Amino acid sequence: MFRWRRKASDFGAETEAHIQLEMERLQESGLTADEARAAARRAFGNVTQAEERFYEARRWLWWDGLWQDVRFGLRMLAKTPGFTAVAVLTLALGIGATTAIFSAVYAVLLKPLPFRDAGRLVFVEKKNPPRGWIRNPISPTEILAWREQSGAFEDLAVYTQSTCVLTGAGEAEEDPCEVASSNLFHVLGAAPLFGRTFSPDEDQPDAPHVAILSYGLWRRRFGENPGRIGRAIEINHTSYTIVGVMPANFSHLYGTPYGTIPALWVGGIALSAEHTWNDYFGIGRLKPGIGLRQAEARTAQVSARIEREHPDLKGWRAEMLSIRAVVSGDTRPALVVLMGAVMFVLLIACANMANLLLARGASRATEFAVRNALGAGEGRIVRQLLTESLLITLAGGILGVLLASWGCQGMAALAPRYLLNSAPGLAGGAADFNVLAFALCTILATTFLFGLAPALQNSRPDLTGTLKETGRGGGQSPRSRRLRSVLVVSEIALATVLLVGAGLMVRTLARLSRVNLGFDPAHILTLRVPLSGERYKPPQAQAEFWDHAIAAIETLPGVESASVSRGLPVGDWAGQFFTTADDPNPPAGHVPDANYIVVSPDYFRTLQIPLRRGRSFNARDTQTGARVAIVNEELARLYWPGRDPLGKQIRLGAPGGTEPWLTVVGVAGNVHSQGPDEGFHAETYVPDAQYPWLAGLLGPEHLLVRMSARAMPEGLIRAVVRDVHRLDAGVPVADILTMEQVVREPIAQQRMVMALMVSFAGLALILSALGTYSVLSYSIAQRTREIGMRMALGAQRGSVLRLVVGGGVRLAVLGIALGIAAALALTRLMTELLFGVGATDPMTFAVVTVVLVASSLAASYIPARRAINVDPIVALRHE
Amino acid sequence: MSTQETGERLELLQGTLDLLILRTLIFGSQHGQGIARAIQQTSEEDLLVEHGALYPALQRLEDRGWISAKWGTSATNRKARFYSLTAAGRKQLVKETAKWERLATAIGRILARQAEEG
Repeated sequence: MFRWRRKASDFGAETEAHIQLEMERLQESGLTADEARAAARRAFGNVTQAEERFYEARRWLWWDGLWQDVRFGLRMLAKTPGFTAVAVLTLALGIGATTAIFSAVYAVLLKPLPFRDAGRLVFVEKKNPPRGWIRNPISPTEILAWREQSGAFEDLAVYTQSTCVLTGAGEAEEDPCEVASSNLFHVLGAAPLFGRTFSPDEDQPDAPHVAILSYGLWRRRFGENPGRIGRAIEINHTSYTIVGVMPANFSHLYGTPYGTIPALWVGGIALSAEHTWNDYFGIGRLKPGIGLRQAEARTAQVSARIEREHPDLKGWRAEMLSIRAVVSGDTRPALVVLMGAVMFVLLIACANMANLLLARGASRATEFAVRNALGAGEGRIVRQLLTESLLITLAGGILGVLLASWGCQGMAALAPRYLLNSAPGLAGGAADFNVLAFALCTILATTFLFGLAPALQNSRPDLTGTLKETGRGGGQSPRSRRLRSVLVVSEIALATVLLVGAGLMVRTLARLSRVNLGFDPAHILTLRVPLSGERYKPPQAQAEFWDHAIAAIETLPGVESASVSRGLPVGDWAGQFFTTADDPNPPAGHVPDANYIVVSPDYFRTLQIPLRRGRSFNARDTQTGARVAIVNEELARLYWPGRDPLGKQIRLGAPGGTEPWLTVVGVAGNVHSQGPDEGFHAETYVPDAQYPWLAGLLGPEHLLVRMSARAMPEGLIRAVVRDVHRLDAGVPVADILTMEQVVREPIAQQRMVMALMVSFAGLALILSALGTYSVLSYSIAQRTREIGMRMALGAQRGSVLRLVVGGGVRLAVLGIALGIAAALALTRLMTELLFGVGATDPMTFAVVTVVLVASSLAASYIPARRAINVDPIVALRHE
Repeated sequence: MSTQETGERLELLQGTLDLLILRTLIFGSQHGQGIARAIQQTSEEDLLVEHGALYPALQRLEDRGWISAKWGTSATNRKARFYSLTAAGRKQLVKETAKWERLATAIGRILARQAEEG
């Protein structure tokens, strides 16, 4: 539009030249200079009008008006740096917090998934409603029947999570991987970056072994070399051919938030309708027009048919989950609550801004009255004020977006690991177009929200009244005073809700961290050392390896005891059916199950799990000794209530199996094995030296080392890894964590929500106190004369103090009452996040009330002090 | 938007000024006053160009990239802004001319028939 940026003066020169040229022509035809000039001007028409037309055509009028507003606004803001700084900072905090939370909400809940027609993709697992089991893996029998007979799927792919040990070129490493059916990539609609995906004949067990690399693994281990495609790679000591590489944004996206991110995919899933073992997870693409519930209904009909032929599938039905629901896991309620909370913060910031602007408007009343008298229309003044507001919000918004990107990094540090799995871009924060667009919308909406009411209020100055009062500091209409009180009351109400929410989260976390987990997580190192390959096929080889490893580690200085186990006691144990000798043939569907933990003898000593009855495992519990097991109190309570569990016999696996009977030799204390917010589960411990009896069950892989309180973990980790590699340099060591880090993971989400809620509530408290303070100090300034008069007439300081503080407390009480009513209605939405505390916990509400009353007392006390220090003489002369 | 007679000269139909400017510039670059004169003379003084209205029109054409302008010296050695036709302007002239001719023919046809019927 301003390509040439032609100046009006340039246009003026051109017009002048035109008139000169015309005059010359007319003079040639015989006119005098004066006559020629007049005629030329007549022919030109109205010169000024032409210039104006030119000017308007270029839209400079509008631009000039805006530019004028901006310059004037900047001047006004620069004149009151204190006001400007407070305003910009308030908005920066409000907009920054909102943007940061929105970027998390966007990354987890809204960002489109990069799959073709992702709305039709579903996770297929299974549930058993009569027994209350959900989200179990599915069997080939079911997969084939559902795919072929239900008519719900366009296609159904399956995969199973596994671990792949890469050997050959470079150090041995173990990576999470997936065994996938060849149609997985086709169902997802994902194309490889290089090479190809699996072909259908590669599903056969005798087909050549093929693997597809994730971008991460390809970059890390193979130096981004496309030449690796078609080459051999050794996986789990077998040779595979690399056939493709997937793009960087692919691998995590269909994984469950709790699952691991696969580093590679291997083919070779041959499904047979005979197999009822539950090894697989399904991802299906529904036929167009078929919804989730409809697909469940159709597959349920198929299941009802197949369970007649396969009794062990009795009661199981397909469970369909939308890909979005799985990817976001149970973070949705937390994010929704946080988004709500941060909106409250933003509203408080807006209320505060409106308040500041009203106060400022009152002190500028004279200015507006004069401008109005000089012909500035109401609209012009509103525009001017909105421009000023926009300038403040823009500055606050830019600062806020910067704050948001720091906030996102902080949030990513706090976030549970699974949240980062489903939203790997979380730490990137505001660096996303949609997030920035949201921030911009927030800025504009905010400007109108807080700017419009004061602008309208201020643009209608009572002309004569204001001008008459000039010199008395400008007045404030009762209407404006009422508006400001309403704003403060709403600020306090919003702050109340936030404080209650934060208080409930604090109580939740306190409860969670006070839960006795059943073991002592302090001073324990955990390392995962998976044994694989030919060398460790014989169970005895594994037991020997662990014996040697533990013996070596226990001699290290600073080590109190060491042990191994399969899985870690927080959320990492697998369940297994078992039967008791008292009831060896339970009916199908009523087979008991328990977590199954393979441990070495010192396990209970290392984790300090108390033994309630009997003995621990010892060195005599070997292949040649009697088969033994230790159960936990919960199992004993469930299956032998009131009887002595010692000497009882149990058998692992489905009823009628050929596994040996185990004699219960001890009862261990209960452990919160699924995290502190879950109950106890039945648990069976078996000694690793007698392992394994069951095909398909895996040996121990976690090394647990209890350190003395003074030992330095870093040095010890190095020594332990050295000992392991001295035994076998080809064994990978992964996931080195302290037990305290491990037990923190299940409550990481509550911890993050608490940290954020507490900071929001703190911000809300400060802002609302500022609001109370500004309203009261302003009204004191307005009433200096009145107070002086009262004091001159004999009012005591105490009564003046009560007058002012009473005003503040009245606002606070009203705000708190409204806030508590709102909180009672709203905290119900947080129920899913709470533990050990009700959504209407009276204690929390009481504390919040006290905190708010105290803060508003403090906020009113300062202006009140100023009021009682008024010197009546000065005050009366003052105006 | 009728072409009404004011004295002896016709006021320009709206939108036709652009066409006339482009047409005038086909003979080479010219300054504003020259363009106004040329239109008046070529139309044998039938058309009235309000000189003041010429400049917003020139500005508009310049903004659209159909003509370009630079300061130069007139035949009488006076500084003036000279306008010339751009390639885009030449194309536009062809288009506008065709459009105008169709319009004129169509209106002419209607008027002729009404004259017959009347």
